[in-house]
Amino acid sequence: MDSTGFKVALGCIAIRLAVICLFPSLQQQLDQSVEFSTPVTSFRSLQEGLYLLRNNIQVYNHGVVHHPPILVFFLSLFTSGTSISLIYAFIDGLIAYQLTKMTKVFKNLRVKSWLPGLLYAVNPLVLLSCISRSSIIFTNFFISSSLYCLLTEGNVILSSVMISVSGYLSLYSILLLIPLLGMLKNWRQRMFSVVVSALSLSILLLLSYTMSGKSWSFLSQVYGSAISFEKVFPNLGLWWYFFIEMFDTFIPFFKAVFNIFIVAFIAPFTLRYHKQPFYAFILCIGWIALTKPYPSLGDAGFFFSFLPFFAPLFGYLRYPIISALLFLHAIVLAPIFYHLWVVLGSGNSNFFYAISLVYALAIASILVDLNWAMLRIEYDNGVPNFKLKVTQI
Amino acid sequence: MALLEKLHRRIVDMGLVPRIIALLPVISTLCALFGFISIAILPMDGQYRRTYISENALMPSQAYSYFRESEWNVLRGYRSQIEEMENMTSSERNNQMGSWLQEFGTKTAIYESQQYGETLYGVMHAPRGDGTEAMVLAIPWFNSDDEFNVGGAALGVSLARFFSRWPVWSKNIIVVFSENPRAALRSWVEAYHTSLDLTGGSIEAAVVLDYSSAEDFFEYVEISYDGLNGELPNLDLVNIAISITEHEGMKVSLHGLPYDQLANNDFWSRLKILSLGIRDWALSGVKNPHGNEAFSGWRIQSVTLKAHGHGGHDITTFGRIPEAMFRSINNLLEKFHQSFFFYLLLAPRQFVSISSYLPSAVAFSVAFAISSLNAFINNAYASISLFSEYNLVALLVWFISLVVSFIISQIFLLVPSVGLLMTISLATCFLPLVLSEKVHISEPLSYRLKNVAFLYFSLVSTSLLMINFAMALLIGSLAFPMTFIRTIVVGKSTEHEMGTKSHTSVKTESRDDLFEHHGDTVLEKAKKRQQLKNLLLLVLTNPFISITLFALVFDNEFHGFDIVNKLISAWLDLKCWNWFVLCIGWLPCWLLILASSFESRSVVVKSKEKQS
Repeated sequence: MDSTGFKVALGCIAIRLAVICLFPSLQQQLDQSVEFSTPVTSFRSLQEGLYLLRNNIQVYNHGVVHHPPILVFFLSLFTSGTSISLIYAFIDGLIAYQLTKMTKVFKNLRVKSWLPGLLYAVNPLVLLSCISRSSIIFTNFFISSSLYCLLTEGNVILSSVMISVSGYLSLYSILLLIPLLGMLKNWRQRMFSVVVSALSLSILLLLSYTMSGKSWSFLSQVYGSAISFEKVFPNLGLWWYFFIEMFDTFIPFFKAVFNIFIVAFIAPFTLRYHKQPFYAFILCIGWIALTKPYPSLGDAGFFFSFLPFFAPLFGYLRYPIISALLFLHAIVLAPIFYHLWVVLGSGNSNFFYAISLVYALAIASILVDLNWAMLRIEYDNGVPNFKLKVTQI
Repeated sequence: MALLEKLHRRIVDMGLVPRIIALLPVISTLCALFGFISIAILPMDGQYRRTYISENALMPSQAYSYFRESEWNVLRGYRSQIEEMENMTSSERNNQMGSWLQEFGTKTAIYESQQYGETLYGVMHAPRGDGTEAMVLAIPWFNSDDEFNVGGAALGVSLARFFSRWPVWSKNIIVVFSENPRAALRSWVEAYHTSLDLTGGSIEAAVVLDYSSAEDFFEYVEISYDGLNGELPNLDLVNIAISITEHEGMKVSLHGLPYDQLANNDFWSRLKILSLGIRDWALSGVKNPHGNEAFSGWRIQSVTLKAHGHGGHDITTFGRIPEAMFRSINNLLEKFHQSFFFYLLLAPRQFVSISSYLPSAVAFSVAFAISSLNAFINNAYASISLFSEYNLVALLVWFISLVVSFIISQIFLLVPSVGLLMTISLATCFLPLVLSEKVHISEPLSYRLKNVAFLYFSLVSTSLLMINFAMALLIGSLAFPMTFIRTIVVGKSTEHEMGTKSHTSVKTESRDDLFEHHGDTVLEKAKKRQQLKNLLLLVLTNPFISITLFALVFDNEFHGFDIVNKLISAWLDLKCWNWFVLCIGWLPCWLLILASSFESRSVVVKSKEKQS
């Protein structure tokens, strides 16, 4: 039973280590690319935090570090670059393992159990994100752990703790608690889960408070900066261009709007798909990857890793080729247009923004198509009937 | 959305979908044809625009140019001295020139490169500016044809002397004397931005002078502007160069057009400049560089001015072009940003911007994407699951061919043996024919390989669209015949209805049922014919063979297999990545197609649920 999971995890780790050994300079290059590193996840700023921490300087007073204190502390335990690479590779291996185990839970899935794990292992987006040492991998790990604990072991406590840790690491993933509640059986469990998450989150925050020298300054730096989009920095998301162009007076209002936009869709997804709560959960991951202020390709890669779980829906997808081509072109052209803009100067910011719109369109079209497919299979009562033509009115 | 929905429903109702799917190869070819046509109609009236100076601050030729007869004697004096320098060593030459430059207060330094020799440069500090920006006047000692650049060097030093007396400059002026316009100048530019001690701020623009005759008179000016890796200087710079040259009464030649054709301005002349422009743009750096290429990649706009012919205008007229250009650039308050960075010139004063010419290369990319789609759905194996072994194997083969291509690109950088490369390329084309009896792949795999190959090529060509349009167009059109390579099926499929969709050999097979005794020979003949056709197409679309043929036919600068050597040295000397576009962009696709053209056996597909 376990051996496939282990093999996949080992393969995943091996691939990462091989790539790190073969291309030692890749980490820095990726860390400087806007697609894989954002101000809140980049390893550069994490390193800055490690340095400040080791020299007993206040980490959060300089506006550079946006990583939560416990993560900075955890990584400061490891001094050599090799051990940090090993940790990153190991965590990716764990995610691959968890994916493999989760596949086995879904009995009637006509997908071989090693496939999602293997796809995760070779998925270039996740792979490169891991190589770039983006801290998004920790968030992803705790999200997948949360699912893993709930699906394979039915462990509500652990699952709630995991989701609160992921929320602690990167703010918006705390929203996933809502679809997680949808996966629980009854209201008692739900209340319990909420309490457990709240407790563990507050413990984490208190711990961080004491760790950062009894100061709450980390709150504004880690979470405040994400909510208020402090660093208007080009990335693949929808936020940055919008806030470059805007008059100052409108900025707070639209920041609220953008934040509400993220939150607004989580509960409806959960409610609409209360019969397919796992599906709702993944949909929410995709939604957050699309709308968060500092998205990276690591987010999208993580979202795609869960798509093989919905293989029965693929037949219903209306325009998978278009979505796939859109996404492929977006990720190929994004670095090129960024290069044209920033390095060569023959392009301008509109180039990169245009391609980040294509990227958003690609993810959105995947989400919309998945929605359609799920509604359609619901209409067919779970028995696929591809011949039937249904149309939206 | 509703409209799209309606349209979609109408198309489905009319039963067009299967017809469109059957017609995909035709649509793909039509797309490519559209690509050709849309670029060929650009020289027609109404398609192009007249150039204009977009940045108002430039004001070319608005100030009177003073580099005239009074400077002629100075110039002649320097020239008679420089004429004796041809046989000196480069350090003697540079020391002499350096001492001249120092006479009128230029700070000079010599940059020594281990590989490419010495480069002398001098910085004249701007009397009016803060010294953070600079303009470069570059004079290679030997020009692109390896002729001693007597006139250019004399012009360079006398212009420097002339400039030094003026108080108007708000940008530093840097004079550079490099050994050649190729790697030596390039290495200086790189050193300027990385290691040199004496610098004069960020370089806004560079003008390279090439006047290789020792005569006083010349006939017309050739302006070169193509940068490396698809970069072009801002159109404003090219415009002021052209407008100043014409203002001074000289004729402008682009892309090596001879004097007698300069007056023409009709459809064919414009088409000629357009095609030459695309060729030179694609092969810039690979072709003998003029000097302006050296400045690519550092946000420097640069052009080369080259004097041609004998008699007509005097050398000071030529000197007035850089003078007036520097006066114009000196006026700039911002970097060049106003005008176009993406354009094609049809005549010195006529151009098309990116929105007009981009569709042609997009069409090629779309043509490949459609071919990929065709290989995916236009056969009996469309319903195979997304995660089937064929797809995975195809992806694996793609990955392997990518690695192989990368290794090939690196090996031939180290051991540039063109003969070997060509022999291997040609020999591998014959593999499907030679091994036709021994090696068979399954038919669905053949289609999946094509699917991956064309998708990859489409992505490569799309990614080149903006950054190197000419290269995208060039490889798109040269590689397009690949899409005509057909899968050859041998052996009868047990379930007939599965394999009767398309492709000649299969069609003959279904006809066999009627003429059983003739069947085998007909089939054999069709197969042989298709195999030979595939072989020819494979040879034609091999990246190395194809680019060599292209260079031999369309460019008289190349002889034999020259171009491959030049591609390699362009990377080593100038960091021009055309070699990698061929090796990593085109070659993997070709290898996949090669793999797919092995004889294939049809496979019976178990009826599965539809995977659209």
